[in-house]
Amino acid sequence: MSAAGVVGAVTQVALVAFGAPLLVGFMRQVRARLEGRAGAGVAQPWRDLRKLLRKEPITPHGTGVLFRAAPLVLAGTALVVSAVVPIVTTASPLDGTADLFAVAALLALGTVFLALAGLDTATAFGGMGASREMVVLALVEPTILLSVFALSARVGSTNLGAIVTATLHEPLLVISPVSLLAAVALAVVTIAETGRIPVDNPSTHLELTMIHEAMVLEYSGPDLALVEWASAMRLTVLLGLFAGLFAPWGIAGTSMAMLPVAVAAFAAKAVVLGGLLAAGEVFMAKLRMFRVPELLAGSFLLALLAVAASFFLAAP
Amino acid sequence: MTTVTGAAFCAALGLGLLAAAGALLPRRARPAAAGGGTAAAGAAAVVAGLAAMAGHPWSVWLPDLLPLAGVRLAVDPLSGLFIAVTGAVAVCAAVYAIGYTRPARDGTDDAPGLDGRAVQAMLPLFVVAMLLVPAAASVSTFLLAWELMAVTSLLLVVAEHRRRASVGEAGLWYAVMTHLGLIAIMAGLAGFAAASHGESFERLRAAAEGLSPAVRSAVFVATLAGFASKAGIVPLHVWLPRAHPEAPSHVSALMSAAMVNMGVYGIVRVGLDLLGGGPAWWWLVVLASGGVSALYGVLQAVVATDMKRLLAYSTCENMGLVLIGVGAAGLLSVSGARAIAALALTAALLHVVNHAGFKTLLFLAAGSVLHATGTRDLDALGGLRSPMPATTALFGIGALMASALPPGSAFVSEWLLLQSLVHALPEGGTLAAVTMPVAVAVVALSAGLAIAAFVKAFGVGFLARPRSAAAERARESSPAMIAGMVLAALACVAAALAPGLVAGGLSRAAGVAAAVAGPGGDPVTGPVTLRPAGMPSTMSPLLITVALLVAVVVLMAVLRAVTTRRARRRARLWDCGAGPATARMEYTATSFAEPLVRVFDDVLAPETDLDVTPVKESAYLVDSVRYRTTVGDRIEHRLYRPVLAAVAWVGRAARPLANGSVHRYVGYGFYAFTGMLILLAVTR
Amino acid sequence: MSETLYVQLLDVSCSALLLAGVLALWRRDLAAIVRLFAVQGAALGALVAVLGVYEGHAGTIALAAGIAVLRGAVLPLMLRRAMRAGGAFRETEPLVNVASSLVAAALLALLSFAVMRPVIALSPSPATRAVPVALTVVLLGFFLLVTRRRALSQVAGFLMMDNGITAVAFLTTSGVPLIVELGVSLDVLLAVLVLQILTARIRAAFGDSDLDDLRELHD
Repeated sequence: MSAAGVVGAVTQVALVAFGAPLLVGFMRQVRARLEGRAGAGVAQPWRDLRKLLRKEPITPHGTGVLFRAAPLVLAGTALVVSAVVPIVTTASPLDGTADLFAVAALLALGTVFLALAGLDTATAFGGMGASREMVVLALVEPTILLSVFALSARVGSTNLGAIVTATLHEPLLVISPVSLLAAVALAVVTIAETGRIPVDNPSTHLELTMIHEAMVLEYSGPDLALVEWASAMRLTVLLGLFAGLFAPWGIAGTSMAMLPVAVAAFAAKAVVLGGLLAAGEVFMAKLRMFRVPELLAGSFLLALLAVAASFFLAAP
Repeated sequence: MTTVTGAAFCAALGLGLLAAAGALLPRRARPAAAGGGTAAAGAAAVVAGLAAMAGHPWSVWLPDLLPLAGVRLAVDPLSGLFIAVTGAVAVCAAVYAIGYTRPARDGTDDAPGLDGRAVQAMLPLFVVAMLLVPAAASVSTFLLAWELMAVTSLLLVVAEHRRRASVGEAGLWYAVMTHLGLIAIMAGLAGFAAASHGESFERLRAAAEGLSPAVRSAVFVATLAGFASKAGIVPLHVWLPRAHPEAPSHVSALMSAAMVNMGVYGIVRVGLDLLGGGPAWWWLVVLASGGVSALYGVLQAVVATDMKRLLAYSTCENMGLVLIGVGAAGLLSVSGARAIAALALTAALLHVVNHAGFKTLLFLAAGSVLHATGTRDLDALGGLRSPMPATTALFGIGALMASALPPGSAFVSEWLLLQSLVHALPEGGTLAAVTMPVAVAVVALSAGLAIAAFVKAFGVGFLARPRSAAAERARESSPAMIAGMVLAALACVAAALAPGLVAGGLSRAAGVAAAVAGPGGDPVTGPVTLRPAGMPSTMSPLLITVALLVAVVVLMAVLRAVTTRRARRRARLWDCGAGPATARMEYTATSFAEPLVRVFDDVLAPETDLDVTPVKESAYLVDSVRYRTTVGDRIEHRLYRPVLAAVAWVGRAARPLANGSVHRYVGYGFYAFTGMLILLAVTR
Repeated sequence: MSETLYVQLLDVSCSALLLAGVLALWRRDLAAIVRLFAVQGAALGALVAVLGVYEGHAGTIALAAGIAVLRGAVLPLMLRRAMRAGGAFRETEPLVNVASSLVAAALLALLSFAVMRPVIALSPSPATRAVPVALTVVLLGFFLLVTRRRALSQVAGFLMMDNGITAVAFLTTSGVPLIVELGVSLDVLLAVLVLQILTARIRAAFGDSDLDDLRELHD
């Protein structure tokens, strides 16, 4: 455990915690501009959070402890993951604690708690959201694990630090077929896990189409603030993970001096990826619920091909 | 130290028999005597098993106990593992049974028949039989213990046959399937013993090398069929989702958490130890049947609405995952990657342990729900968290343990399994390169669907609002039942947070299997951080949990600091302004699973009836709509119904043979006997 | 060309070849399938060009240009015209649903890797190691041909199969004789012409190009 690693881990948690709402605000702004609207400004999500935190906490009739604990667990998993994923440093002290499998499972844990909270409300919307979210979660899992398989095959380890360091040492690996196929597969996963178009529409409030929003319909005040903030953090962390795996340049290792550079590099990468995602959403429509399995089957196929390529194709 | 193993094991057997004798006591005292005795026997078995896993084997030959062959027992680390698991499950289930089988005080008999003499005596005997199976060291002892296990469990399954007609049917399926399995195992092992001129396991082990490949394969395939059927592997699983739900809940726990393991034990013992491994196709068969079982089991669990049926199908799934590990171990040992093979086998054995823990807990909790509400139908449950807080919390822990999420125990064993599958690639050769990605995908999909299944079971069964009057009237279970569940929960949590503690014993157990025993050290090391040998991946379930707890506590503190208004106000749920939402508007288990039924509709083939009654021949006004959808067990329909129909046809065709005349029946015996004598005279 | 760069380019062009095939299985939009076919043709041209440059074979490079023009531009153009004439722009529900066919494609890929293993063992080189990818393209094309209902997507499947076969030929033998390749290409061109006429005829007769309607023609 190095000092730079500890500082880096703290930095990246802080960066994700404070930067996530800004990233969401930036993506909304990009979308607004592309759709010809003025937009509410990049800091709007933070203003929303402040407003929600000042409101009175409300417990709907008939909900239990789980309903109140779910936002905390959701945000807690996002924080832990943000300490593990190599966003700023590859030497996080938690790197040996949770590998890529564990990161995927931790994110799933947050989703599961939210789904249970949705079921706990005893409304049809909550159940509907929970049911759909579980479908997406179950079908995404094979793609995630196969992509991990493909990425770890050449390194021999599923620890994130090791994978990212290996890519840093051999930049040519990034344009190998394994990496490209896994990147496309993980991009689909990222979209599905963060509930963006075409899997889910984050800004919808139309009952029949929503997934994530249906589960959190009963939350208000500070609880809702926590849920919104956690969702933003999950988005940021997943984009950070994606950037770390496929464009790791600028990430600090064990040197303290690299940290400011790494923060700037991450900010740039997040802006680019978030902008691309937001721009993509403008030109795409949400898929029907029962077309989503096709999308996920496709990403599964790509991940499987990535694994096959990692073994069969000649290594450069 | 070797004597510890022997003494504890003998004590376990003795206490079990004593507990069976306890059934002779009067009705009120019976559950406590039989249950307490069984729990003590289980505890002794845990000691014996752990001592054996710590490297103190024990064996004995009692030539006079049975005619002809005598009884041979030997407890090595592999047997020790299964003995310890069985013992631990028995402790929890027996403590629980004290409360579960006690006659109700207020005269309304909740569980008639469960405090009967035969049922009470069978429970300890069943446990004793399950302890004997892994300890048996000769073919005859093994088969005897196996049959004793089958018969005692069968009698326990049909304990409630007077209350529900479905119990009898389940018992029939179980009886037929388990005996067909016994025939397969008997044929395989008897053939093995005949070919190696001796029936002790030592003799078999020594002779296995010299047998012809055809004999070896025949032995393996025959025993595999029998053991796979006991482990509930698709397509030999049909008895399991019938028998496990219909048995009394503590028996379900014993069957689903301990008895199915004997199938795995048999495959590992015969395939990897006695036969010492074999050609790749054996293990491909094991791997493929494990994969099919995992996926089919979990899909059926996702769509099940009967809580205990869901758990039974989840057993099929988990045994499938275990067989994936065993198959991978065998396959990798063929291609020489022994270190990873040992890791895969260790992961499979760890999954056996973890599955035993959470399945005990879940079945016991489901039994409490059944006891309190009288129904297992998830569509009629819900809202149990306020009347039954302890059971709800315990089922929640069990569901978390079962669903491959970080602070859970299944997560740890599946993580190890995935590590062994992922790292099999460079060394395992082409076969591994083609099978391992598919195996990883199967493990991943079944993990994902298992999460959905347990979110359904917990979220629909315990949270939200009661969906029926029965669920509203539920009361918390008796202290003994809660104590049994708490024991199981503690074991699960220990296994989840510190799996490294049992790693040494597990590696020794895996090392018994000659085919995968490598020259290297333990396949997994580390009490806090798990490190699979020879690969740089690490993971620490304990530290993840601590980090998660710290994060949640910090968040709570921050939230307290930044929020200004803390008093919580209660408010109505959003009901679209249409008046108060009722329980009828809730999502049920069926509706929760509906999207997955649609996604997997090619596999599940649900049957749907839509019945629309229009108002007086009107094309648009509808009087009533009836919609029914059922998801049956497709394998049962496609594979077993034709066989059953054929058997029934043969029976009908043979009816003229039995016309009711006694003379004729005695005559058949006479003709057969003389016919055989004539045959002997002619052939010799 | 350095060895590393050669392997990298070879792998990338093979991946593009495969990816185009996979995406064709995924999409229902006929125009998209035709576009993907064009991309695949271009990728095949690139693959052959990489092989030619690496071996310093001018004939192969010329052939690569020919392939790219024919399969990346001429054939797609004709398909597009056929599509416009056909009037149908979307694939109706295929015989095997899309999600299942994608999973099937995954298994086909593994199958071709398993089958090609001994062939690669004969002479392991970067080019032969990519042969399974080409075989997968053949199988995907075949699968498309079997499961699709529209005549046009079947033609696309047939052509993709041919792309795969060409790729296999170049990767295993480092180039087929020019005359053979010309012959095959002409054959393919002819086949497409015939099919185009046939599609138009079917449409004229049935008002649709759903091949299931042809069942009505039996005896």
